[in-house]
Amino acid sequence: MLKIKELCERLNADVQAPGEQDREITHAAVGDLLSFIMGTVSEGSAWVTIQAHLNVAAVAVLKEIPIIILAAGRKAPEDLVERCRTENICIASVSESIFDTCKRLSELGIKG
Amino acid sequence: MGAPVCMEYRIEGNDFMEAGAASNNIKKTLKMLGIESAICTRAAIVTYEAEINLVIHANGGMLKAVISEDKIEITAEDKGPGIPDIKKAMTEGFTTASNQAREMGFGAGMGLPNIKRNSDAFEIESTLGVGTVMKSTVFFNKK
Repeated sequence: MLKIKELCERLNADVQAPGEQDREITHAAVGDLLSFIMGTVSEGSAWVTIQAHLNVAAVAVLKEIPIIILAAGRKAPEDLVERCRTENICIASVSESIFDTCKRLSELGIKG
Repeated sequence: MGAPVCMEYRIEGNDFMEAGAASNNIKKTLKMLGIESAICTRAAIVTYEAEINLVIHANGGMLKAVISEDKIEITAEDKGPGIPDIKKAMTEGFTTASNQAREMGFGAGMGLPNIKRNSDAFEIESTLGVGTVMKSTVFFNKK
Protein backbone atom coordinates (compact mmCIF):
# COMPACT_ATOMS: atom_id res chain seq x y z
CA MET A 1 0.00 0.00 0.00
CA LEU A 2 1.26 3.45 -0.87
CA LYS A 3 1.57 6.34 1.51
CA ILE A 4 0.93 9.87 0.25
CA LYS A 5 4.65 10.61 0.53
CA GLU A 6 5.58 7.63 -1.69
CA LEU A 7 2.75 8.36 -4.10
CA CYS A 8 4.01 11.91 -4.63
CA GLU A 9 7.57 10.67 -5.14
CA ARG A 10 6.49 8.03 -7.66
CA LEU A 11 4.46 10.62 -9.57
CA ASN A 12 7.41 12.99 -9.46
CA ALA A 13 4.98 15.59 -8.14
CA ASP A 14 5.65 19.09 -6.95
CA VAL A 15 4.18 18.93 -3.45
CA GLN A 16 2.69 22.32 -2.66
CA ALA A 17 1.15 21.35 0.69
CA PRO A 18 2.22 18.13 2.44
CA GLY A 19 -0.98 17.00 4.21
CA GLU A 20 -0.84 13.67 6.02
CA GLN A 21 2.30 12.25 4.40
CA ASP A 22 1.95 8.84 6.09
CA ARG A 23 -1.71 8.34 5.15
CA GLU A 24 -2.22 5.30 2.91
CA ILE A 25 -4.04 5.67 -0.40
CA THR A 26 -5.76 2.77 -2.14
CA HIS A 27 -8.30 4.49 -4.39
CA ALA A 28 -8.50 7.47 -6.71
CA ALA A 29 -11.16 9.42 -8.57
CA VAL A 30 -10.86 11.80 -11.48
CA GLY A 31 -13.07 14.72 -12.45
CA ASP A 32 -13.30 18.46 -12.90
CA LEU A 33 -16.98 18.85 -12.07
CA LEU A 34 -17.19 19.60 -8.37
CA SER A 35 -20.70 18.22 -7.86
CA PHE A 36 -19.72 15.03 -9.64
CA ILE A 37 -16.84 14.51 -7.23
CA MET A 38 -19.04 15.59 -4.33
CA GLY A 39 -21.65 13.01 -5.28
CA THR A 40 -19.51 10.06 -6.30
CA VAL A 41 -16.04 9.94 -4.74
CA SER A 42 -15.48 7.67 -1.75
CA GLU A 43 -13.83 9.15 1.31
CA GLY A 44 -10.09 8.70 1.60
CA SER A 45 -9.54 8.63 -2.18
CA ALA A 46 -6.97 10.62 -4.10
CA TRP A 47 -8.57 13.17 -6.47
CA VAL A 48 -7.05 13.95 -9.86
CA THR A 49 -8.26 17.19 -11.43
CA ILE A 50 -7.22 20.26 -13.39
CA GLN A 51 -9.38 22.57 -11.28
CA ALA A 52 -7.03 24.72 -9.23
CA HIS A 53 -9.03 27.14 -7.13
CA LEU A 54 -10.15 27.49 -3.54
CA ASN A 55 -13.38 25.51 -3.89
CA VAL A 56 -11.43 22.36 -4.69
CA ALA A 57 -10.28 22.44 -1.06
CA ALA A 58 -13.88 22.92 0.13
CA VAL A 59 -14.94 19.74 -1.68
CA ALA A 60 -11.87 17.85 -0.41
CA VAL A 61 -12.60 18.86 3.19
CA LEU A 62 -16.28 17.88 3.02
CA LYS A 63 -15.58 14.55 1.30
CA GLU A 64 -12.47 13.85 3.39
CA ILE A 65 -10.18 13.59 0.40
CA PRO A 66 -6.60 13.55 1.74
CA ILE A 67 -4.76 14.32 -1.50
CA ILE A 68 -5.55 16.47 -4.53
CA ILE A 69 -3.39 15.81 -7.59
CA LEU A 70 -3.39 18.71 -10.03
CA ALA A 71 -2.60 17.29 -13.46
CA ALA A 72 -1.39 18.80 -16.74
CA GLY A 73 1.00 21.19 -15.02
CA ARG A 74 -1.70 23.10 -13.14
CA LYS A 75 -0.39 24.73 -9.99
CA ALA A 76 -2.36 25.64 -6.91
CA PRO A 77 -2.57 29.40 -6.28
CA GLU A 78 -1.35 30.63 -2.90
CA ASP A 79 -4.83 30.81 -1.31
CA LEU A 80 -5.51 27.18 -2.23
CA VAL A 81 -2.11 26.06 -0.90
CA GLU A 82 -2.81 27.94 2.32
CA ARG A 83 -6.25 26.34 2.75
CA CYS A 84 -4.82 22.87 2.11
CA ARG A 85 -2.14 23.50 4.74
CA THR A 86 -4.79 24.62 7.24
CA GLU A 87 -6.97 21.58 6.53
CA ASN A 88 -4.02 19.16 6.41
CA ILE A 89 -4.73 18.12 2.82
CA CYS A 90 -1.89 17.24 0.45
CA ILE A 91 -1.91 19.19 -2.81
CA ALA A 92 0.55 18.07 -5.46
CA SER A 93 1.08 19.19 -9.02
CA VAL A 94 2.20 16.91 -11.84
CA SER A 95 3.18 17.87 -15.39
CA GLU A 96 1.63 14.77 -17.02
CA SER A 97 -1.83 14.81 -18.56
CA ILE A 98 -4.83 13.55 -16.60
CA PHE A 99 -4.77 10.38 -18.69
CA ASP A 100 -1.12 9.64 -18.02
CA THR A 101 -1.49 10.49 -14.35
CA CYS A 102 -4.37 8.02 -13.98
CA LYS A 103 -2.42 5.41 -15.95
CA ARG A 104 0.52 5.87 -13.60
CA LEU A 105 -1.75 5.59 -10.54
CA SER A 106 -3.16 2.37 -11.92
CA GLU A 107 0.34 0.98 -12.46
CA LEU A 108 1.07 1.80 -8.83
CA GLY A 109 -1.85 -0.39 -7.77
CA ILE A 110 -4.33 2.39 -7.02
CA LYS A 111 -7.89 1.32 -7.79
CA GLY A 112 -10.69 3.37 -9.28
CA MET B 1 -28.97 16.00 23.51
CA GLY B 2 -30.91 18.96 24.89
CA ALA B 3 -32.26 21.91 22.92
CA PRO B 4 -31.81 21.84 19.14
CA VAL B 5 -28.64 23.42 17.76
CA CYS B 6 -29.50 26.17 15.26
CA MET B 7 -26.96 27.48 12.80
CA GLU B 8 -27.68 30.22 10.30
CA TYR B 9 -25.46 31.65 7.61
CA ARG B 10 -25.80 34.52 5.18
CA ILE B 11 -24.38 33.26 1.86
CA GLU B 12 -23.18 35.97 -0.51
CA GLY B 13 -24.08 35.76 -4.19
CA ASN B 14 -21.26 35.13 -6.67
CA ASP B 15 -18.69 34.67 -3.91
CA PHE B 16 -17.25 31.40 -5.17
CA MET B 17 -14.25 31.54 -2.89
CA GLU B 18 -16.12 31.47 0.42
CA ALA B 19 -18.57 28.80 -0.77
CA GLY B 20 -18.29 25.68 1.36
CA ALA B 21 -17.36 27.46 4.58
CA ALA B 22 -20.84 27.21 6.12
CA SER B 23 -21.10 23.54 5.13
CA ASN B 24 -17.76 22.87 6.76
CA ASN B 25 -18.93 24.46 10.02
CA ILE B 26 -22.15 22.45 9.98
CA LYS B 27 -20.29 19.20 9.28
CA LYS B 28 -17.80 19.91 12.07
CA THR B 29 -20.68 20.53 14.48
CA LEU B 30 -22.34 17.22 13.52
CA LYS B 31 -19.05 15.40 14.07
CA MET B 32 -18.58 17.12 17.41
CA LEU B 33 -22.03 15.88 18.43
CA GLY B 34 -20.87 12.34 17.66
CA ILE B 35 -23.06 11.78 14.59
CA GLU B 36 -22.00 8.84 12.42
CA SER B 37 -19.51 9.75 9.68
CA ALA B 38 -21.65 8.59 6.73
CA ILE B 39 -24.55 10.72 7.96
CA CYS B 40 -22.26 13.74 8.37
CA THR B 41 -21.13 13.32 4.76
CA ARG B 42 -24.72 13.13 3.49
CA ALA B 43 -25.62 16.29 5.36
CA ALA B 44 -22.44 17.96 4.08
CA ILE B 45 -23.34 17.16 0.47
CA VAL B 46 -26.81 18.68 0.97
CA THR B 47 -25.51 21.86 2.61
CA TYR B 48 -22.66 22.28 0.11
CA GLU B 49 -24.88 21.95 -2.95
CA ALA B 50 -27.46 24.27 -1.37
CA GLU B 51 -24.73 26.78 -0.62
CA ILE B 52 -23.40 26.61 -4.17
CA ASN B 53 -26.91 27.10 -5.57
CA LEU B 54 -27.30 30.24 -3.47
CA VAL B 55 -23.94 31.54 -4.76
CA ILE B 56 -24.42 30.67 -8.42
CA HIS B 57 -28.14 31.08 -9.07
CA ALA B 58 -29.83 33.09 -6.34
CA ASN B 59 -27.58 36.09 -5.77
CA GLY B 60 -27.14 34.84 -2.22
CA GLY B 61 -29.53 33.87 0.54
CA MET B 62 -29.78 32.18 3.93
CA LEU B 63 -28.63 28.69 4.80
CA LYS B 64 -30.06 27.33 8.02
CA ALA B 65 -29.42 24.06 9.83
CA VAL B 66 -31.36 22.85 12.85
CA ILE B 67 -29.83 19.82 14.55
CA SER B 68 -32.12 17.98 16.95
CA GLU B 69 -31.88 14.60 18.64
CA ASP B 70 -32.69 12.45 15.62
CA LYS B 71 -32.20 14.65 12.56
CA ILE B 72 -30.75 17.67 10.83
CA GLU B 73 -33.13 19.96 8.97
CA ILE B 74 -31.51 22.12 6.33
CA THR B 75 -33.25 25.12 4.78
CA ALA B 76 -31.92 27.27 1.96
CA GLU B 77 -33.96 30.37 1.29
CA ASP B 78 -33.38 33.07 -1.28
CA LYS B 79 -34.99 36.02 -2.98
CA GLY B 80 -33.46 35.14 -6.32
CA PRO B 81 -35.07 34.83 -9.73
CA GLY B 82 -36.87 31.56 -8.91
CA ILE B 83 -36.84 28.31 -10.88
CA PRO B 84 -39.10 28.29 -13.96
CA ASP B 85 -39.31 24.50 -14.22
CA ILE B 86 -38.44 22.53 -11.07
CA LYS B 87 -38.79 19.17 -12.80
CA LYS B 88 -36.17 20.22 -15.34
CA ALA B 89 -33.93 21.60 -12.59
CA MET B 90 -34.13 18.23 -10.82
CA THR B 91 -32.90 16.43 -13.95
CA GLU B 92 -29.30 15.29 -13.78
CA GLY B 93 -27.17 17.20 -16.28
CA PHE B 94 -29.53 20.15 -16.68
CA THR B 95 -27.94 23.47 -15.69
CA THR B 96 -28.41 27.19 -16.18
CA ALA B 97 -25.07 28.11 -14.58
CA SER B 98 -22.97 30.85 -16.20
CA ASN B 99 -19.91 30.06 -18.30
CA GLN B 100 -17.70 31.43 -15.54
CA ALA B 101 -19.26 29.05 -13.02
CA ARG B 102 -18.94 26.11 -15.40
CA GLU B 103 -15.29 26.81 -16.12
CA MET B 104 -14.69 26.50 -12.39
CA GLY B 105 -16.34 23.09 -12.36
CA PHE B 106 -19.70 24.22 -11.00
CA GLY B 107 -22.90 23.81 -12.98
CA ALA B 108 -22.64 20.07 -13.59
CA GLY B 109 -26.40 19.86 -13.32
CA MET B 110 -26.01 17.59 -10.30
CA GLY B 111 -26.69 19.97 -7.41
CA LEU B 112 -30.38 19.36 -6.76
CA PRO B 113 -30.17 15.65 -7.71
CA ASN B 114 -27.27 15.26 -5.25
CA ILE B 115 -29.34 16.98 -2.56
CA LYS B 116 -32.38 14.80 -3.17
CA ARG B 117 -30.35 11.60 -3.23
CA ASN B 118 -28.78 12.38 0.13
CA SER B 119 -31.99 13.57 1.85
CA ASP B 120 -34.54 11.44 3.70
CA ALA B 121 -37.12 14.14 3.05
CA PHE B 122 -36.83 16.86 0.44
CA GLU B 123 -39.06 19.65 -0.76
CA ILE B 124 -38.57 22.70 -2.91
CA GLU B 125 -40.87 25.57 -3.68
CA SER B 126 -40.10 28.35 -6.09
CA THR B 127 -41.92 31.40 -7.40
CA LEU B 128 -40.58 33.32 -10.35
CA GLY B 129 -39.38 36.76 -9.33
CA VAL B 130 -39.92 36.00 -5.63
CA GLY B 131 -37.44 33.29 -4.71
CA THR B 132 -36.91 29.69 -3.72
CA VAL B 133 -37.17 27.74 -0.47
CA MET B 134 -35.55 24.33 -0.27
CA LYS B 135 -35.89 22.01 2.71
CA SER B 136 -33.99 18.81 3.31
CA THR B 137 -34.02 16.46 6.29
CA VAL B 138 -31.41 13.84 7.08
CA PHE B 139 -32.23 11.41 9.90
CA PHE B 140 -29.42 10.12 12.08
CA ASN B 141 -30.70 6.58 12.51
CA LYS B 142 -30.95 5.76 8.79
CA LYS B 143 -28.24 4.98 6.26
